[in-house]
Amino acid sequence: MLITGVGSQVGSLLAAQLERDPDVEYVAGLDTRRPRLQLDHTEFLEADIRDPQIGRLIPPTGVDTIVHEQIVRQPGPRMSSLAMHDVNVIGTLQLLAACERVQTLRTIVVRGSAGVYGAEPQAPQFFREEMATMFPLRTRFQRDVAEIENYFETYARRHAAVRCTMLRYQPAIGPNLRTQITRYLSQPVCPTYMGFDPRIQLVHIDDALEAITAAVRNPVPGAVNVAGPGTIGLARMIRLAGKRALPIAAPLFGPVTSTGQRLGLDAQSEDFQRLLRYGRGVDTRRLTDEVGYTPRYSTVAAVEDWVRQAREAA
Amino acid sequence: MNQSTAIAFMRRLRAGLDSGLELPEALTKGATALPRDARHTIELILDRLDGDYPEDEWGFDEEFAELVEPFFAFLYESWWRVKVDGAERVPAHGRALLTANHAGILPWDGTMISMALLREHPLPRYPRFLVLNWAFDLPWVSSAIRKVGGVVASPFNALRLLEQDQLVAVFPEGVKGTGKAFSDRYRLQRFGRGGFVEIALRTGAPIVPVAVVGSEEIYPKIADIPPLARVFGAPFFPVTPTFPWLGPLGVVPLPSKWRIEFLEPIETASYGPEAAADRALVLELSERVRDEIQQALYANLVRRGLAFI
Repeated sequence: MLITGVGSQVGSLLAAQLERDPDVEYVAGLDTRRPRLQLDHTEFLEADIRDPQIGRLIPPTGVDTIVHEQIVRQPGPRMSSLAMHDVNVIGTLQLLAACERVQTLRTIVVRGSAGVYGAEPQAPQFFREEMATMFPLRTRFQRDVAEIENYFETYARRHAAVRCTMLRYQPAIGPNLRTQITRYLSQPVCPTYMGFDPRIQLVHIDDALEAITAAVRNPVPGAVNVAGPGTIGLARMIRLAGKRALPIAAPLFGPVTSTGQRLGLDAQSEDFQRLLRYGRGVDTRRLTDEVGYTPRYSTVAAVEDWVRQAREAA
Repeated sequence: MNQSTAIAFMRRLRAGLDSGLELPEALTKGATALPRDARHTIELILDRLDGDYPEDEWGFDEEFAELVEPFFAFLYESWWRVKVDGAERVPAHGRALLTANHAGILPWDGTMISMALLREHPLPRYPRFLVLNWAFDLPWVSSAIRKVGGVVASPFNALRLLEQDQLVAVFPEGVKGTGKAFSDRYRLQRFGRGGFVEIALRTGAPIVPVAVVGSEEIYPKIADIPPLARVFGAPFFPVTPTFPWLGPLGVVPLPSKWRIEFLEPIETASYGPEAAADRALVLELSERVRDEIQQALYANLVRRGLAFI
C-alpha cells in the first residue's frame, strides 16, 4: 500500500494506523517532508509528487492499493495559490501517469473534498454524490478538486480492473489537529458574516481515518461523501468553543479579514469564506450503506471533542 | 395581546425612526411599549441569537419558534383575524405534503398556516416550509427562516424531510404567486411542472391542498421595478401603496381578514414510487390539486365578505 502526502498531519496518522492493521503487509509513504510521527514499518519515499521521477519510484514497490492524500486544502503562509494548484492538479497527473506502470494496482482511494460542491445560498441542505455539477465552480480550489476528480474518472474508465473511490470530505476537526477550522476557532475572535448563521458540517479525525480504511477494504467505484451526521450552526459552534463572534457586514468581510491577516490573525481562503457565509451539508447514506462505515462522531460531537481537548491543553 | 398594544408598538417604532434611530434601535424602543412578558421574550431571543441552543440538522429550533410565537399569535388573532376550517384533516403524524396558494411578497402565508396548525389542530405540529431560494442570500432573514422551519426550495430537501416523516409545506406557484399583480389576485398561477406531485408520489406522502384567503391584500402590488430588483438580486421589486414610500414601515402588512381552509387529503401511496415518472398522472394530480384550491379560494372569498372589515 502506498500513501501520498505522508508528511502531512493526516497522512502521518493514516500511515500509523495502516501499519498496525494486520491485513496490510507493506506501507510506503511518498512526500517531500518526513512523516510527523515515528513510523516503524513505513518505507519513506522522498520525492515530490509533481516530479516525473515518481514514475520510476512507485512501480518497483509493487503496491496493490494507493491512497492519494496529497491534496492541499488551503495554501499555507509560504505557499502561493499557484503552487497549491501545481501540487493538486499536476501532482495527481504525475501520480496517475505512474499508476499506468503499476501492474499490481487494484484500488485507488482519494481523500478528496466536499468543497467541490461549493457553498451556495440556494443549495439543497444535503448534497448527494450526483450533485457535484449543480453549481458553477467558483473558486480555484473548487476547480482543482473538479479537475482531480475528472482525471480519476477518466483513469477509472480506462482501467476496469482498478477500483477508484473518490472520498469527498467535509472539513476535519479533532484533538490536536490543525486544520482551517481549528485555526479559525482558536483565534481570539471569530469573524462571521453579519446576519448569517450557516449550517456547518464537519468530520471527526478518527472517522476521517477510519473512512479511508473502510474504503480501502471495500472500494466502491465513484464518489462517496464523508462527514459526521447532522450539522451545527456557526454561532453555536463558536459558542461551544468559548469564543466570541465578530459579525462583519458582507461587503466588508474581505477587507477586514485581510487587514486582520496583516496583523497576524489567521487568513481565510475563498472557499472557507463562502463556507462561513452559506455553509454546506452532505448526505452520507452512501458511506453507511455501500462502503459500510458509520461515523462514530456526529458533527456536534466532533466539535465537542475538539473543544474538550483544546480546553485541557489551555 | 390586543390591538392597542400593537398600535402603541407601531407608534413608538415610527417615533424612533423619525428621530433618526436605526431600525434595530427603533425596534428595541418600540418594544418598551409592549407588556413585560413580551419584552422578556425579546430579550431571550436576542440572547439566543448568540448561539447556545439545540437545533436539528436543518437549523430548525423549536424553542426559538416558541419564543417568537407571541408575535405571530398577534398577527394571527388581532391583525389578520384568521378563521380556519378543516385543520383536523391534516394527518396528526407521519409524512404529508401541504400544498397552498402563494401570495403577498413576503411569506406571511406560510407562518399563518403554521399558526393555524398550532392553534386549531388536535395534535399541533410544526410544518417545514420550502422557501424561495433568494431569501437565503439575505442577512438575518436567512437565519431566521431556518430557525422557524424554512428550508431552501429544493426537491431534494422536500424528499429528505418527507422521508424523515415531517409535515412539509410547499407553494407550487413559487415566485409567480408572490410576485403577481394585485389585479390578478386569487387567480392561481401555473403549478410549476408538478414537481410537488412527483415528490409526494416518490415518498407516498398524502397531498393536503390548502386555500389561503387574505394574503393577497396585505401588500397590493401595483407596479414592479425590474432594474431595482436586479440591484437587490430579488426576483421583483414591488411597489405597493405603502412600499417603498414609507421606508421600512412599508414592510408592515395591511390588516386584511384571512381564511385558511385545509381540504381533504389526496392519498398517493397506492400509486407506488415508480408512478413519479408517469407524466400523465403527475400532471393530472397537479391539475386536480390546483382546481380544488381554486374552487376553495372562490368559496372562501364569498364567505369572508369585505377584505378589511
